[in-house]
Amino acid sequence: MTDLTLAALLPALESRFGPDVKVLPSRKEVLGVVQVKVDRLVEVARFLHDQGTFTHCALVSGVDWIEHIEVLYHLWSDALKGYLEITVETAPEDPHVPSVTSIWRGANWHERETWDMLGVRFDGHPDLRRVLMPEGYRFHPLRKSFELHEPEELEVKARHV
Amino acid sequence: MSEMWINMGPQHPMTHGLWNLRVKVDGELIVDVDPEIGYLHRGIEKICEYRRYNEVVTLMDRTCYVAGIAWEQLYIMAAEEALNISPPPRAEYVRVLSQELQRLSSHVMWYAAYVQDIGLMTPFLYGMRDRDLILDLFQSYTGARMTYEFMRVGGVRNDVPVGFTDRCRKVMDWFDQRLPEYEKVCDNSTIFLERTKGIGVLKAADCVNDGVTGPMLRAAGVDRDLRRDRPYSVYPELDFDVAVYDAPDCYGRYRVRMEEMKQSVRIVRQVLDWLDRNPGPVLAEKVPRFVGTPSPPPGKEIYVERRGYPKGRGFSAMEEPHGEAMAYIINEGAEHPYRAKLRSPVFVNIAASKDYLVGYRVSDIPAIMGSVDICVGESDR
Repeated sequence: MTDLTLAALLPALESRFGPDVKVLPSRKEVLGVVQVKVDRLVEVARFLHDQGTFTHCALVSGVDWIEHIEVLYHLWSDALKGYLEITVETAPEDPHVPSVTSIWRGANWHERETWDMLGVRFDGHPDLRRVLMPEGYRFHPLRKSFELHEPEELEVKARHV
Repeated sequence: MSEMWINMGPQHPMTHGLWNLRVKVDGELIVDVDPEIGYLHRGIEKICEYRRYNEVVTLMDRTCYVAGIAWEQLYIMAAEEALNISPPPRAEYVRVLSQELQRLSSHVMWYAAYVQDIGLMTPFLYGMRDRDLILDLFQSYTGARMTYEFMRVGGVRNDVPVGFTDRCRKVMDWFDQRLPEYEKVCDNSTIFLERTKGIGVLKAADCVNDGVTGPMLRAAGVDRDLRRDRPYSVYPELDFDVAVYDAPDCYGRYRVRMEEMKQSVRIVRQVLDWLDRNPGPVLAEKVPRFVGTPSPPPGKEIYVERRGYPKGRGFSAMEEPHGEAMAYIINEGAEHPYRAKLRSPVFVNIAASKDYLVGYRVSDIPAIMGSVDICVGESDR
């Protein structure tokens, strides 16, 4: 395993994956922000795990931007002592993203939760069930189309039914 | 013998909360595990999108009922990144003081519950009594014992009261005496040693790949503590050691937590000395009005409305008593976060349960799951 320094890591990603990887402006609390095309995600993840020392997948989450859905990965490296942020864009209707559970088992429940909350399907996931909401629940609550009502509003509605 | 599924939970003394551990057993042997959580899901991430930045603090206390103030700081750090506000130094020290007191009280609570699970009753009473001393300290400066609502974007709500540092030092002196006693009770108990040593093993490589963090990870010999490795707040200025142990079993996790308690006492003392020497404000000036002041309740347009405040994203990670917690806040210029994501260490530690339960006996389950230190409020959010 070749240990990459941070200065070498991002150019190495860019040279290896070309236009499928885009390094976005970084923020001070992460090592870097990298946008990856959906179909190259697993390859990039494998590269980061094997060559980039990112052995710990800390967080998989999603954001509903209405026009698209963004899936975020935060990876920790013990050598670089920091988090790398990977972002992937997918379509809002029937979103599909390849699963990274084959690389980090720890991503398993994070992906289940993202499916549960945002309706993102992770292809290749061994067991993509809901994790927090009950089986058979119809909604994905963190979508912006799912409206949260103030309690008083619900009360008024119930009274008028 | 034929295999069968057993539900341990949602109501079971082992669960310490509301969740269900489905175990597939062959006689007494565990062959498969399927944990089910969600019984305590309150949709905190969704509610955050409908609350002003400072109102979210109230929700964070409820996220974890044994370490509320840790989640307050986690959220506040991410929100401050997203809003580009920085707190005054004294506020940072009061925060770190709260963190370490909370770690102490959370670990003492864990000790009390765990040792009782194993079958020793007296340490439970020791633990609960000593935890009360810390809750009294919290009460004296936040006004509450469990749901503090103490941190604000840009600082903390109020300074510690007159005479607090001396009172706190007395409690720390008390803990200096008590912690060795805690250890003595366990280390001299054959029952405790028999039930924890070599049970619930999760090796270092599996811990890392499973995303397991906190005392479980350090018990397996992985030397990682975000307080030192990715310093936040004023931890770089404080002197402490990271507790690491090289037995990836229940006993190792107990050892790590015991050592962490001693280190917390050490940190608290340093912070108290600093607080005595350095008076100052505890809330930043120029915190934007709409971040701090309430206005009439919003309609559904809240996340479309733009107020012209600079957009930003905030990410924070910290060493919470249970492990590494993370928060991710997206600020789109409105009064409310556009998205708030919380990463609970307990959620991931439960997810990995198959790896450290399969192969052990049903009677080991309370000892193993107890050593994970589960807080269901936190894993379900």
